[in-house]
Amino acid sequence: MEALEKQDTATLSVQSQDGERLLLTLTGPLDFHNSARLWDKAIGALSHHSFGQIVIDAEKIRSCDGGGLALLFEIQLWAREHGKSMELHGLKKEYADLLKNFTPEAFLAHRTARHKSIPFPEEIGRATVEFWQDFQEQVGFIGQAFVALVTSILRPWRIRWKDVFWVAEHAGANAVGIVILLGFLFGLIITFSSALPLRQFGVEVYVSDLAALALVRVLGPFITAIILAGRSGSAFAAEIGTMKINNEIDALETMGLDPVRFLVVPRLLATTVVTPLLAILANLAGIIGSAVVMLSLGFTLRTFITHVESAISPPDVYSGLVKCFVFGLLVSGVGCLRGLQTETGASAVGISTTRAVVSGIVLVVVAEGVFAVLYHFLEI
Amino acid sequence: MSRNESIIRVEHLTASYDDTVILEDISFEVRQGEVFAILGGSGCGKSTLLRHMIGLREPDQGHVWIDGEDMIGADEPQKTRILGKIGVTFQGGALFGSMTLLENVRLPLEEYTALPKAAMDLVALMKLELVGLREAHHRMPSELSGGMQKRAAIARAMVLDPAILFLDEPSAGLDPITSAELDRLMLQLARQLSVTFVIVTHELPSVYAVADRVILLDKERRGIAATGAPAQLRDDKTNRAAWQFFHRQIGDQSMHIKEGRIGNGKPSFRTK
Repeated sequence: MEALEKQDTATLSVQSQDGERLLLTLTGPLDFHNSARLWDKAIGALSHHSFGQIVIDAEKIRSCDGGGLALLFEIQLWAREHGKSMELHGLKKEYADLLKNFTPEAFLAHRTARHKSIPFPEEIGRATVEFWQDFQEQVGFIGQAFVALVTSILRPWRIRWKDVFWVAEHAGANAVGIVILLGFLFGLIITFSSALPLRQFGVEVYVSDLAALALVRVLGPFITAIILAGRSGSAFAAEIGTMKINNEIDALETMGLDPVRFLVVPRLLATTVVTPLLAILANLAGIIGSAVVMLSLGFTLRTFITHVESAISPPDVYSGLVKCFVFGLLVSGVGCLRGLQTETGASAVGISTTRAVVSGIVLVVVAEGVFAVLYHFLEI
Repeated sequence: MSRNESIIRVEHLTASYDDTVILEDISFEVRQGEVFAILGGSGCGKSTLLRHMIGLREPDQGHVWIDGEDMIGADEPQKTRILGKIGVTFQGGALFGSMTLLENVRLPLEEYTALPKAAMDLVALMKLELVGLREAHHRMPSELSGGMQKRAAIARAMVLDPAILFLDEPSAGLDPITSAELDRLMLQLARQLSVTFVIVTHELPSVYAVADRVILLDKERRGIAATGAPAQLRDDKTNRAAWQFFHRQIGDQSMHIKEGRIGNGKPSFRTK
């Protein structure tokens, strides 16, 4: 006899009888702990012997939980899979009755089925179809949102002004602090970073021109749009996504209310209006930050203001603010779209929020590039 | 432990939310292997009581003994040991949405046993087979009906073979046939595995079908209005709260029905 386990708890002994029968004797409490200990050894013993029939002596199994039953059933499955017969002797009636709930054929069918995986070309095909469907949805949403926006503007009494003001407060007024802080810091940083190299050439006084122009034309609107994507785009996706999971979007539709008009239009309107206002604050804060550095470098406030006035023309300011309208539309639109695309499950809202922020930032950068080229050709 | 010994003992438990006392000085026992139901109308403290019994809330006063160990005031190792003896399913199933059914059921095995992965899969599949969901093992919870989610949650709760299973509103939101299937499953598990069930419900057909004993909580008394077998309470004309609950009567309907009014004596609408 070959004793595989001899402990006070559960033991397994294996005895080969004339190469015809393999006798497995199990004793003690066959619980999760002991089953884990004996599992590999029991199944390994089956592979290492040649025999026609497995006999399990279970008379001395004192108790048996889910782990023990699984071990006995695994031996049964192994026997069936390898065309061996199996006899189980002496298992207490309550455990034997439980074991009868499970049919080996069904479980073996599962084993053969679970090894099927999706081939790589099919995965590429699925990803392509998903990308195309997402693109179609985006185009459809742009059209739907545009129609709803124009219709609402033509019939302003149908706009939910309370929601518009609520969103304007949350996306706009509540963002004033962070926009001013980041604008100020950006002005401070770019002025300081540019002043040191330009000092070598003795032209550091022109840093104020450079900083003011960069802030008004590019950085102010850009900072505002990025803050908006992080604060409001994500919030829109989370709000609308949660509403979708709670069937509130379905409720709107069944009441004959268009979710785009009801939820998206107020957000688009409010964000489009507040983004340029926030950008103006970012520009002013940035210029103040720039002034602080210039004063610390020994220039007078009068010199700084004169340079800023000569550097910035009204078209510079307008071109920056026009971009803000578009950034506001893009960030809020994609936030709402990702919210409406939310699927089911606990992680769905998180996924939508992430996608809203990422898509918002990507769209803002792409739009910034398009505006740069456009303004170049229009000589603005 | 024999069937008549108590496996859960709640002693003088008082529970409140902020300044509102929900349950006041309640005591009862649950016996090994029985299906025990906690009944009562909405807002009477059924789920609050359950949350105290499974250690999710600390009571203002009192003790909850699970298999001889006090859940209240237990240190972390002791609490982990007590929690190892119980399984819980919540109203919505509380399956993890990012995992398949098999992964949901396998999770406790991964954390608490040293079984090989193939063995864990087999144990999880066997539990899913018991609740009739083996073939759906690869599905995500969001792809399942409410009844299937609840059955899967039961499979997950019993994967480590706990001595006690707590079920919060198992039949809520289910159609009568699915609800009856769930009742049959509970009875089967109670008889075959000697699991003690504590269910919180207000579904009377389910109570009659499965419960050996019940306690009826009463909002006004902030405590237990009646204890006993469901049929016994249903026929007890001396206990007004039990009579009203089991016969689905509103307020003081029995008192005012002769006057042609229902409600608490206030004129509301006339019956024919």
